[in-house]
Amino acid sequence: MLPIELYEGIESAWCPGCGNFPLLKAFKQALAELELRPQDVLVVSGIGQSGKFPHYLSCNTFNGIHGRTLPVGTGARLANPELKVVCVAGDGDCYGEGGNHLLAALRRNVDLALVVHNNQIYALTKGQASPTTDAGQKTTLQPQGVYYQPLAALALAVSQGCSWVARGSATDPEHLQELYKQAIAHKGFALLEVLQPCVTFNRVNTYQWYRQRVYRVEETPDYDPENELWAYRKAKEWGERIPTGVIYRHPRPVLEEAHPALAAGPLVRQQPARPVAQLLADFF
Amino acid sequence: MTIDLNILIGGAAGQGVHSITGPLAKSLMRQGCWVLSSQSYESRIRGGHLFNKVRLSGQRLVSSREGVDILVALNQETVTLHQGELSSQGFLIYDASEVKEIPGGIPSLGLKHEDLLPGVKGKAEIAVNAGACGAILGLLRTPLAPVLSLLKETFGDKGPEVVDWNITAATRGYEQAQGMDSKFSLARITPSPEPRLLISGHEAMALGALAGGLQLISGYPMTPWTSLLNAVAQRAGLYNVVVEQAEDEIAAINLAIGASYTGARSMTGTSGGGFCLMTEALGLAGISETPLVIVVSMRPGPSTGLPTRTSQGDLGFVLYAGQDDFPRAVLAPGTPAQGFALTARALNLADRYQLPVFLLTDQYFADTQFTHLPGEFPEVEVDRALTIGPSSGTYERYAYTGNGVSPRRLPGFGPELVVADSDEHTPDGHLTEDLQVRIKMHDKRLRKLQTMVQEMGGITVAGDPDAPLVLLCWGSSLGPVQEAAARLAVEKTPARMVHLSELWPFPAATVAAALNGAKKLVVLEMNATGQLNRLLRQETGLKADHLVLKYDGLPFTPEYIVRNLSKVA
Repeated sequence: MLPIELYEGIESAWCPGCGNFPLLKAFKQALAELELRPQDVLVVSGIGQSGKFPHYLSCNTFNGIHGRTLPVGTGARLANPELKVVCVAGDGDCYGEGGNHLLAALRRNVDLALVVHNNQIYALTKGQASPTTDAGQKTTLQPQGVYYQPLAALALAVSQGCSWVARGSATDPEHLQELYKQAIAHKGFALLEVLQPCVTFNRVNTYQWYRQRVYRVEETPDYDPENELWAYRKAKEWGERIPTGVIYRHPRPVLEEAHPALAAGPLVRQQPARPVAQLLADFF
Repeated sequence: MTIDLNILIGGAAGQGVHSITGPLAKSLMRQGCWVLSSQSYESRIRGGHLFNKVRLSGQRLVSSREGVDILVALNQETVTLHQGELSSQGFLIYDASEVKEIPGGIPSLGLKHEDLLPGVKGKAEIAVNAGACGAILGLLRTPLAPVLSLLKETFGDKGPEVVDWNITAATRGYEQAQGMDSKFSLARITPSPEPRLLISGHEAMALGALAGGLQLISGYPMTPWTSLLNAVAQRAGLYNVVVEQAEDEIAAINLAIGASYTGARSMTGTSGGGFCLMTEALGLAGISETPLVIVVSMRPGPSTGLPTRTSQGDLGFVLYAGQDDFPRAVLAPGTPAQGFALTARALNLADRYQLPVFLLTDQYFADTQFTHLPGEFPEVEVDRALTIGPSSGTYERYAYTGNGVSPRRLPGFGPELVVADSDEHTPDGHLTEDLQVRIKMHDKRLRKLQTMVQEMGGITVAGDPDAPLVLLCWGSSLGPVQEAAARLAVEKTPARMVHLSELWPFPAATVAAALNGAKKLVVLEMNATGQLNRLLRQETGLKADHLVLKYDGLPFTPEYIVRNLSKVA
């Protein structure tokens, strides 16, 4: 265990009582328990309140643009698989703007953890519907209520053979801390969605709303996260009861192993010497 | 009078135009000809009309040209479309099963597959393609052996039977043509004292990237950019390069940015609409100061435009793409050798100044093979410009410096944390709303241009360096303009070609010096509005007296330029 003070970042600009605070604390705790030094970790984020997450930590940071955390994280892993890469995104960021990158990540199985802060609302832009806002919910931009049905991202991930799928909740920080540790340690693409109340713009999905519904899936008798159909049913469960914990596990070969160039070690530690004469041989 | 022959091979897509062109061009190059082989094709896999032109000479060639001396027609349409281009000595070789109407008064040879491959059924395509290849060489009165060995190299992996068919048909075609009168003879071409190369613009750039230490390339297929991605991918295994086909261009550029931030030498590329998608992350590379090489291979637009045709219409786009001001560099090679050197240079510039560097190419440059000498591809210097070793005190990724370049470290190489941000940020990389910091950081980034411009040049002057008639061009127009200048000299109109391959930051002083003494300045570009001319005026106050423009999707030819100059000069 490393001292948690190692991961102290700059002062936060989140609202008082923001659902992001328990995530930040649990994440730092997980890094400390995994004994990952700040220099060993790269957190990639996008735009939204979740985009600020790595600034409030102490670690290597790439705060990129909206929706593009996964390709940046994928590039980083291909360049240096010695870095532990965690992509942090919001529900709008990852499920909306960056949807195609999520689909590709499910297929690629790059060895990184994707943490989706799901507050079911666009908070930074002050309260429009997100891809996970429940149908019927009224917002500033959808005063008649949201028409779309919410994206069942975890069910999508299970259906596509994602190698590790879990949900955590800001209302159960001890459990969340354990899930962070597992997501970071997992070899392959790990999708961890974290339910996170927005105290300012989402008056429906409050701390209390989540507390009344979430339960730990591992408490389900005989639950087997490697049982795809069972995992799919749990991933679709939403409403009166919302499962948290590891929903699906599906070990698969990772992208890094598919690239022969990485067999000689991380690209960033290779010194490419390519004599021109050898390159010209095909053209005589 | 030196030999200068143009062979046009045309047919429908899928008929084997490339199967004839490849071995033909290379065998002629190996026999000592200077060869220039270009392609013109439609956006379809089968059918339509495509043609390749193989130009050969005893002297160095820098451009394709108009006119046809040997027309090889795999279908009737090729005869109809191109018979008017035949020169006075023109000869027609055709597939006798496809071409039924032969223009009168033109010597011709009809190839019958039953003669070329007697007793072999269902292999008419092989027969005619290899037969045509042999027939051209027979007509040129040049040895057949080099092409036979190339056919073995090309088809060896398809088995001995396929090789035999090719060799038989090529030999028979050769014999048939040898029996005919021919005005063409390569006897006066002397073999080269050293082996030469036949290489396309994109192939040369792939080599420049590899020699220049490229470690990761990501992209999404799009014509004409794809050929560069393919050329790297085919060599990736030998040189430990990660090639990643991304889900879209947005992912391709962000993936390269992530890899580059982490420390791998990275590049991406695209064409037309693909670059529209990349502009979002272009600004990310700008503000995060991440080194990145971006190839934009131009084709006519807007939108889907003419997907397989050529253009120089995106200069303005790459100069100004993205929100607000941030430094970038724009390079545009004119020959494969320039493409090789500038790609390696782009990787160095990106690392040295920590910014996006564009390489502007186009379909003509991408696909056209030039004959080069190996010495024109020298070893390149790889300059990563990284800061390594322990730091004194706190590391700041965006430390304010006099030249705007902050010491760059890599994550995971020491206790120094590398914090990069797309938000405006403090020197330590954290987001800020301090507007004084904003001004200082914005100025720091822009200062890089003032330093970088001092090492920009890339000007080629050809023709008469003192001529008052100046032909200013950029990128792939080099060859046609250079040849036009040479033709004008023959016609007693001396002209000076000034070619720019480094367009941003604009080397204003050196360009102005190269234009010194110009009485008539003509700017030649493959776009409709004169994008370089606008840049020239913006940066130097000079402007063209005349514009020679072309935007029909086909490349400049020396003849087109001379015809248009005669209207203005």
